[in-house]
Amino acid sequence: MRALSDFFLPVFIIAVLAIGFFRRVNVYDSFVTGAKESLGLVLSVFPYICAVLISTELFAVSGLSAALTDLLAPVFRFLGIPEQLCELVIVRPLSGNGSLAVLEKLIAEYGADSYIARCGSVIVGASETVFYVCTVYVSTTKVRKLRYALPVSLFCCLLGAVASCLLCTLM
Amino acid sequence: MNCVFFVMTVSSLLMMLFSSPSQAFPAMIDGASGAIALALKLCAIYAIWLSVLDVMNKLGMSKALGKACSPLTRKLFKGEDGKTRDLITLNFTANFLGMGGAATPLGIKAMERMQDGTERATDNMILFLVINATSIQLIPATVVGLRAAAGSASPGDIILPSLLATTVSTIAGVIVVKTLVSIKKPRKQPLPPVPLKGARFE
Repeated sequence: MRALSDFFLPVFIIAVLAIGFFRRVNVYDSFVTGAKESLGLVLSVFPYICAVLISTELFAVSGLSAALTDLLAPVFRFLGIPEQLCELVIVRPLSGNGSLAVLEKLIAEYGADSYIARCGSVIVGASETVFYVCTVYVSTTKVRKLRYALPVSLFCCLLGAVASCLLCTLM
Repeated sequence: MNCVFFVMTVSSLLMMLFSSPSQAFPAMIDGASGAIALALKLCAIYAIWLSVLDVMNKLGMSKALGKACSPLTRKLFKGEDGKTRDLITLNFTANFLGMGGAATPLGIKAMERMQDGTERATDNMILFLVINATSIQLIPATVVGLRAAAGSASPGDIILPSLLATTVSTIAGVIVVKTLVSIKKPRKQPLPPVPLKGARFE
């Protein structure tokens, strides 16, 4: 599976470029345009990721994340999420790199094929960095009020985590 | 977002006042430095994907894909035009195939076209955000890679449960958003005219 996904990207890019070239699209121009567009896009996205990352870094370093984990552990256990995975479930919507680090720790501690590690892998694989999506996607629009987007996203991610734990006991 | 940011930042800082006040400012700088590193990386990834997309646009590939999926996107995102729905389709496809770097610029463009000029996100924008935030990936390549590196006997055995779990969360997201929209809507629509039956008996 891994080998297959390794081939996918280069083959896809070769295909697009080759078809483009033979249909007389100026491929070089397209790459210049793309790189130029990317600069503008990153400039408008940067302030948002900067603010979010300052906040999430503080959240992790201050120990608030750990305190929240302890606080929510009984709730999670009630929902069928083992307490070893509480930290992961809390970090996952906040930080992509952070949750990968937590997952690596779980894999090292319990072994790659243990229930905890498999469950953690599914939780990470089946979810997204909610805060990042919600800030970056609106960064170039006038929108400042996300209304119910954040609570619904977080609720559904929790639902996904509950489903992950349930599926891992079955599969 | 303002509230979330404020509560998270200030409560973390308050907590650090008691535990480790000297680390508070370095932690903030770490966060900002992380953002700079991420922005540079994103700039590189976007540059490549926006280029490939430009070629695809000129070939009409994105339009063809958008058309193929339009029965679904038309139903989900009522009232959006063809170009927006093409972008939405491309964003979903890129996410599905695990090309997150390609999905983001497409999603941003789609969001720009969906806004109504006010500060409030429209219902379609929220639906789009929720679908993106609940992930719709076919193969979680990073996680599979991590497991393979850790010597798992079958690193790929999490693919199916992941796919099922993300399907559950995404469908739940769509249902919740659509329900919230339909609960709110009847108030806005004018009531159908009621024939005045009583008038006859005057």
